[in-house]
Amino acid sequence: MMKKIYALMVVSYLLWGQGLWAEGLIAKYVKEDLSKLNLEALFWKEVTPETIQLIAQPMVAPRPQKTLTEKLWVQVVHNGEWMAFRFKWKDKEKSEAGPLGKFSDAVAIQFPVKEKEVPPIFMGAKDSPVHILHWRAQYQKDKEKGFQTMKDIYPNMNMDMYPLEFANQYSHDEMLKKITEEQREVFVSGKSAGNPQSFQKIKGVDEMMAEGFGSSSVIENTRAEAQGIWQKKGKEGEWVVQISRPLALEGGSILKAGQKSFMAFAVWQGGEGEVGCRKSVTMTWVPLIIEDKK
Amino acid sequence: MATVKNWQLDRQMDYPYEEHRPKKQWAIVFDLNKCIGCQTCSLACKTTWTSGKGQEYMFWNNVETKPWGSYPLAWDVRVLEKLGYQHWDKNKPYSGKTVFEAADPAEKAVHFNPQDEDWMYPNRGEDDCTGNVSGGKYLTLPHDNWFFYLPRTCAHCTYPACLAACPRKAIYKREEDGIVLIDQSRCKGYQECVRACPYKKSMYNPYTRVSEKCVGCYPAVEEGKQPMCVQNCIGKIRIMGFINPPWNAREDNPVDYLVHKKELALPYYPQLGLEPNIYYVPPIHANREYLIQMFGPKVEEVIENYKKIKNDPITQGLLVLMGSTDNIIHRFKVSEGSAYAFDEKGDQIVRVPVTEPLFIRTPWDEKLGVIRNNTP
Repeated sequence: MMKKIYALMVVSYLLWGQGLWAEGLIAKYVKEDLSKLNLEALFWKEVTPETIQLIAQPMVAPRPQKTLTEKLWVQVVHNGEWMAFRFKWKDKEKSEAGPLGKFSDAVAIQFPVKEKEVPPIFMGAKDSPVHILHWRAQYQKDKEKGFQTMKDIYPNMNMDMYPLEFANQYSHDEMLKKITEEQREVFVSGKSAGNPQSFQKIKGVDEMMAEGFGSSSVIENTRAEAQGIWQKKGKEGEWVVQISRPLALEGGSILKAGQKSFMAFAVWQGGEGEVGCRKSVTMTWVPLIIEDKK
Repeated sequence: MATVKNWQLDRQMDYPYEEHRPKKQWAIVFDLNKCIGCQTCSLACKTTWTSGKGQEYMFWNNVETKPWGSYPLAWDVRVLEKLGYQHWDKNKPYSGKTVFEAADPAEKAVHFNPQDEDWMYPNRGEDDCTGNVSGGKYLTLPHDNWFFYLPRTCAHCTYPACLAACPRKAIYKREEDGIVLIDQSRCKGYQECVRACPYKKSMYNPYTRVSEKCVGCYPAVEEGKQPMCVQNCIGKIRIMGFINPPWNAREDNPVDYLVHKKELALPYYPQLGLEPNIYYVPPIHANREYLIQMFGPKVEEVIENYKKIKNDPITQGLLVLMGSTDNIIHRFKVSEGSAYAFDEKGDQIVRVPVTEPLFIRTPWDEKLGVIRNNTP
């Protein structure tokens, strides 16, 4: 029964969505430096935000029971070298993860990788990869305030000592004083395994490749930039996030002025327990028309 | 959903992946009649594995006082409540639903998501009895008022809910020993495993932002040694070995002998459907209804079997082998008053007398001409 309802939702969404986005989003050409993040830049006022309809991710469990983010407002500009996206969506609270059981607000854009091939919308498929830029409020906190230590996450916590950290200014043990951070991190399994989750997110945004659900892997040293701000609006609140990327990201997606590509979007409301597959997504690729340079 | 065989429920059940039993299956048997709640196992585990950042409140091994104690808060009650009333007739296959079968189509398993504060009291309810033993009361079996200690590790389930729920397939079950591990390099900290594991033995590390769990002391197991919680158990209530499904049970395998041959130990909350691989000799003094809820309808029978050990030298021999060696016992035998343990190659690890020789120490020391006393 549930499957039938989902199928019906998906079909009606596709019919409706296709009509709405037949023309696609236009990436307007501007002359400003887009590698610098500026959420209030004047050019944003000249680009009409397009409304993108999202739906609770319906394909794989665990999935959300209802669509928490129905609308995502998107603006796109480029300057021939860089492309910038400005997102806006309603979210009544700012969620930056941290403690156990708390998740982060987030937004992601997905691009096809291979030219002239549109991969399956749900994060691609084997040999049909997608390229993703994933901004998280949690990563942004990293960028602004540094990697979140236990003391940052739990300001009132107290801990006698961690392994190899008992050397202090009064210690006479020269051996212990020489112990490096790397040696201490042997006891921090995420870090010692080299998991990108366990290190500071300097850019506030992750660049990833994926070949299907659950297969995303982070590309090191991304050139993308991101900045977000949550603001209260009456009883509601909203996120405004800018993600900027070079048009050509080697090893990822290559966009060119005057050409057409595709995008897909996803939004997570961390405060409502959304994480991973629990997200609101676009169900069809949204055409991206990149204006030629003037 | 695939259909898999769950021998603990004596029936087929639904599970997201096909049945694939490992070559060997890690298992621990705990004798709850002997646990004194000293937490040496918890500390052995803590100092070995979870002394780092983000693991301050993380206990892969914990001992909780039942019925009031729990870690995280009320995990058992909340999981059972979510699953709802299910029925299981004695000597019949389980007729209720498992956490996989009762799950909403949007989820992999029936679950609840413990919050931060739920993990903050690792020994909540310690030593709390079900009621006061007031004037005129006397001890009966089972006791009117009772509690018992429940030591718990990850059960390295045959059908792990954590593994089923991980959208990144970052959790895997090892072919060689059935140990379930979270790939520390691939986990993205979605905490789906923390939500899905009904026993709440997947835990989130807020410092590394990935989830962690009991690793079954796999480096020790690979060397033929038992896990640290077992090696350090001063009450000698535990034995770690490899369990076979009942159709392959071997009488000289200590775990098979206790679980299958003698039916002295039962899995806990088998009705959840994970085929957990930690087994308990139920405490004979605790409330039967409570024990049936925790260990299934065979409890009465198992307790009766336990009472018969006094006339069973082989089982007595196996019980004295518990805690007598750090090595994994693959095979045992009892003959002429001695219990023998053997490793995987068949070499003898240890020999233990089933009954310790008795020496009577007279109060008068003839040789020294003095009275012996116990003053150190």
